[in-house]
Amino acid sequence: MSGNETKGPSTLNHKNEQVQESDDILLAGKDLCKGFPGVWQHLILDHIDIDLRAGEIHTLLGENGAGKTVIANCLSGFYSLTEGQIYVKGQPVTLKSPADGIRHGIGMVHQELALVKPFTIAQNIALGLPGSDFSFPLPEVEAKVHELSETYKLSIDPLAKVEDLSAGEQQRAEIIKVLYHNPEILILDEPTSLISADADRLFEVLENMAKLGYGILFITHKIEEALEVGDRVTVLRLGKSMGTRQTARTDKSELVKLMFGEHTPVHLDRKPIKSDTIVLDVKNLEAIAADEEPALQGVSFSIREGEILGFAGISGNGQSELAEVVTGMRPATRGRVIIGGKDYTNRSPREIIRAGVAHIPEKRRAMGVIEPMTTAENVVLKDIRVAPFSRGSFVNKSQITRHTNEIVSRFGALVSDLWKSPARILSGGNIQRLILGRETWRIPQCLVAVYPAQGLDAKAIDHTWELLMRLREAGSAILLVSEDLDELIALSDRIAVMSKGKIVGLFEAGEATREALGLMIATGGKSSTSKKG
Amino acid sequence: MNLDYAAGILLGSLHAMVPITLTASGEVIGESAGLFNIGLEGIILVSAMTGALGAEAAGPAVGLMVGLGTGFVIGLIFGGVCTYFKGVQLVAGVGINLFAAGLVAFWLIHLGVPGHHAVAAEHQLANIATPFGDFSPMILVAVALPVFLYVLLFRTKLGLKIRAVGENPQAADVAGIKIHLLRLLATAAGASLAGLAGAYISVDWLGSVTKEVSAGRGFIALATVVFSGLNPLLVLLGGFIFGFFDNLAVWVATMPTIKKFIPWQFIAMAPYAVTLLVVAGVIGRAKFPAAIGIPYERE
Repeated sequence: MSGNETKGPSTLNHKNEQVQESDDILLAGKDLCKGFPGVWQHLILDHIDIDLRAGEIHTLLGENGAGKTVIANCLSGFYSLTEGQIYVKGQPVTLKSPADGIRHGIGMVHQELALVKPFTIAQNIALGLPGSDFSFPLPEVEAKVHELSETYKLSIDPLAKVEDLSAGEQQRAEIIKVLYHNPEILILDEPTSLISADADRLFEVLENMAKLGYGILFITHKIEEALEVGDRVTVLRLGKSMGTRQTARTDKSELVKLMFGEHTPVHLDRKPIKSDTIVLDVKNLEAIAADEEPALQGVSFSIREGEILGFAGISGNGQSELAEVVTGMRPATRGRVIIGGKDYTNRSPREIIRAGVAHIPEKRRAMGVIEPMTTAENVVLKDIRVAPFSRGSFVNKSQITRHTNEIVSRFGALVSDLWKSPARILSGGNIQRLILGRETWRIPQCLVAVYPAQGLDAKAIDHTWELLMRLREAGSAILLVSEDLDELIALSDRIAVMSKGKIVGLFEAGEATREALGLMIATGGKSSTSKKG
Repeated sequence: MNLDYAAGILLGSLHAMVPITLTASGEVIGESAGLFNIGLEGIILVSAMTGALGAEAAGPAVGLMVGLGTGFVIGLIFGGVCTYFKGVQLVAGVGINLFAAGLVAFWLIHLGVPGHHAVAAEHQLANIATPFGDFSPMILVAVALPVFLYVLLFRTKLGLKIRAVGENPQAADVAGIKIHLLRLLATAAGASLAGLAGAYISVDWLGSVTKEVSAGRGFIALATVVFSGLNPLLVLLGGFIFGFFDNLAVWVATMPTIKKFIPWQFIAMAPYAVTLLVVAGVIGRAKFPAAIGIPYERE
């Protein structure tokens, strides 16, 4: 499509949508539906309409799990649609494979780059070319890559091996690979996730291409990028379209509302702590991180019955390691972890679980569930040794089913079946609901909760907060790690700020404000204590 | 005299090299495409049988082709199971070996003398006479094939495609390549070379079929592939090294002076011991396609 065709659309003022006519629509999807095997009742795409015009950058904005990648994969022919119709320039088309998409002028840059690493860029491109299998088109490919690289200012060396390139270069190589097929439509799935430093360069390239008449569908979860790059933005939430806005006429707060729903934090009633009994007592704890650097350097605190102690700070300042040491997953090199008056320093996770410590882990897929195992197996994972879930060596399937059903319905998790599908196919939010249910149904003596609300929608966040407050009422001692200051302020009785493996400040519930916390987090506690007065 | 010895050993080694190089060359194609076929041993065994019968029915050339075809058919079944049906490659391969062992043992009973079937000299492939012994034309095939495959894998688009489906099938899929079909054909082509190797053993080299006629050569070929790092030219070298040790035991058995000190059975262990050493030494550094052994699923 390069050459004469590109001139037409570029003369239009593509920022002004009203004057555009429908025949500028390069690509449209009507009523797109997608359900993956096993999760039919929960549509991953739920009747989505979308269109893309020549010469525009259309941003698709949404959280992880909103269905952005799935739309992109359907529009490029990589996934098949369950329902709905795709139109290319007004003609209905059926895309059965990426090759079909390429034939219709649709090129997609995948989030996980579709490059063969030991190959050169030219070899990667040669792969997808038509022509005899016994031909050797490399010299030709190399010449054209040079040309494309010049035209779009991508500075890509066709003879470079992909595995030797930086993330940003790989990204641009991927774009060249797609451009090679002369698409009119370019779909980019989270192209900035790997190259945050190089993003501006990419945006320039994309804006150039839009001016040449390409239609560009740009996928991101970053609101700032949606406002910076696109002409129009469509917001997705949990597989549904929340509407399309013109970038120039929307703002951050509207997009936030569309993405997450209106989140007016529930008013949480905080009764005073009744007990002085210390449940978790941590003394002068030290530990080493995975990279052999010191992660904790003398951390001391104690949590009473019915108290929530929040840990604020930018992630990577020792919060993860603290949670791991308390739950027995990482050895302490010095110091003590005392749970219910007994020393549990460097005891096994199993002993610590028996001591009544529940754990909502940071990496829910890696640490929270066993992905190839089913919902029921994952829900009963920690309780499988005890009655009524097992007797002797035998598990009691009917009890486990009853228990799992109860947790699934109480926590509103969307799962297809309890005993068949692996946890892998569940969305992150649903996995988090199952973990919350598994860890809290028995009211733990102590709960270590790391980013408990991540990936949940507004309603589920409210439920999670209420749940933590109920556990507090019931007497659980809760160690809460979060980066969300609103969450910390709403829930915590005290908030400790961590920086470089140390607690650099401690706030009581009443005196913690966003500003004071933010300042201390930003400065690592150096200046803020004196200013706070 | 000494020169004669050396030439004899060289010639014997070349003959012993052929089945390993053929099989390993084929496996290089399959593994490049991401399929690991541990059933090569079984394919050699069955093809030795079918090849011998084909040669007796219609001549040695047909026998070799029947062996090739047998390998191709088994390869198609293996490839189908491991691509379209997403079977576990190790299990499918072990299945081939068990099936082959049973089938050939049973078949040999039906052919008369249990456990052994000799192919009459007139049905064997005619060798070229040299002053140092017979020279099989198959040696030329075994030398030319890796060179041909090297060009195919590294100098054609088909080769790029084959290596891409083994390395990153998702990327290949995005490029419009039919992953399952290409993997299936690659492994079937590879298996047909193992079949040719089997037929060579019975129709040319040893001139007989026993239920142990493959003698671990399928596994040695797998070791050769590891040694080669999927480079067909190194398969040629690896095949020769293994062939040399394979031949060594035969040679020692004919040398009364050496036999007095070292029993030939001890030397017969050499190819397997060398296999172990090579694999132990190389395997940590060998670079295999990233997606080898993993069935491809798009969604």
